Amino acid sequence: MKRAAILFIFQILWMGLSAQEIDADLLKVKSRLDSILSFSTQLKLEVDISFINMPVKKAQMYYAKGKKVKFSSDDFVMLPKRGLDFSLNSLLEYSFITVDRGLEQRGAKMYKAINIIPTDKRADFSIATILIDTKLKRVMESEINTKKDGSYVLSFQYNTDARVLPDKVTVNFEIEKIRIPINFMGKDTELDRKKMKAAGTKTGAIYLTMSNYQIKSVL
Amino acid sequence: MQYLLKAEIYKLFKQSKTYYALGALFSIELLILFSAYYQGTTIIDLLLENLKQKFYFEGTLLNGNLLIYLILNTLWFHLPLILMIVVSGTLTSEYKDRTLQTIMLQPVSKWKYIFSKYLVAIGFTLLVVGLLAASSFGLSYAFFGKGDLVVYLNGLNFFDATDAIKRLQWSFLSGALSMVFFSVASLTIAILFKEATKTWIVSAFFLILSNILLKVDFGDNWFNQLFFAKLNDTWQYFFYYTINWQQVIFNSVLSFAYCMLFMGAGIYWFHKKDIG
Repeated sequence: MKRAAILFIFQILWMGLSAQEIDADLLKVKSRLDSILSFSTQLKLEVDISFINMPVKKAQMYYAKGKKVKFSSDDFVMLPKRGLDFSLNSLLEYSFITVDRGLEQRGAKMYKAINIIPTDKRADFSIATILIDTKLKRVMESEINTKKDGSYVLSFQYNTDARVLPDKVTVNFEIEKIRIPINFMGKDTELDRKKMKAAGTKTGAIYLTMSNYQIKSVL
Repeated sequence: MQYLLKAEIYKLFKQSKTYYALGALFSIELLILFSAYYQGTTIIDLLLENLKQKFYFEGTLLNGNLLIYLILNTLWFHLPLILMIVVSGTLTSEYKDRTLQTIMLQPVSKWKYIFSKYLVAIGFTLLVVGLLAASSFGLSYAFFGKGDLVVYLNGLNFFDATDAIKRLQWSFLSGALSMVFFSVASLTIAILFKEATKTWIVSAFFLILSNILLKVDFGDNWFNQLFFAKLNDTWQYFFYYTINWQQVIFNSVLSFAYCMLFMGAGIYWFHKKDIG
């Protein structure tokens, strides 16, 4: 009995220790992304939110390692808070542990699923699940549950096998419908407000298409 | 007819109240412009409040196009009020000064005389709307620049700067038709009441009533579609993401028909009534 109890405790401790190891495939992807010193790309943004009508927008995106991503545009553009951090920096910024969740199927392919759980309170997310293409060493999908801004599901598409950075990103998120006081602006506002109360939270998506990448890399 | 028109234009621009009215209108426009600038910040904050959680914004929405849209929202009450006072005044002052009797002693056709008054009233209205449009665009762009426009109408509608300019121009055109309707109506009211104060009170009442009825939902029926008060916000149709041109044309034709009806009734009554 005593021996069984010791074995049980040992097993629990062993599992805890093994869970705290950082996944090797994630580190490979991270080191591949870290080889990029800077890049710039032309962004095309398409907003798909039921209560927002917006034409397709264009913006220029600039990334330099260790610096905040910058954007510039002649138009007014709405950029998702998540989905444009291709370097994974925002997920791996503070200390974390990873948990191997096995394989998940997307279409005809299987990808490795990994949970990233931050161990530092400063992290702005509680858990993230990422799907990694271990062969091509790149992220295919990620689901980030943030502490303040709800959850995001990001899907990445690459035009060629050699690509490190995605050519298309779909950002899915939940968003509350806007609430406008009666007779605030425009016509039929009151009727809309009634509909809004019933509607509550909506799901939305942003489709990002990147083109004309200018990449500076150490490789 | 040509001489009558010239005489009416001369009289309109000779009277000091025309310039007082124009001065008042441009002062109101300036006031709206600057209050709209402060209102604009609150509006954008409110509209984008929920979106701020999920998005970063690049570029500004507080620009000339938003200010012109806010001017349009408030202009369509102040403008017809002043237009109605000036336009009806062109006839009531003639009743008061008895110059109408002097004119009617000349070989002038009664219907041609009143018709020329209507034409000058329409021309003056279009001129004022044109001047206000030009100054709204000029001042807004000079101080606040161009940019994308955001409007809350069945959701949040974002328009590119070039698209926004076209829509704002169309809405000024559509609004001009509503203003013509109120000017024509005020002249008809002046024919009926003759006296200035009574005419202004009835005209103001007519305008306020139209504004109140505009906001009343009569349900989805023919009355809601055909009632004249409901046509006065046709300019807003240009800020739906997809413009319903069929509805815009229908409303515009109907507004024009109402103008003709009020003008026809006015000419008939003026022709029939004693000028004394």
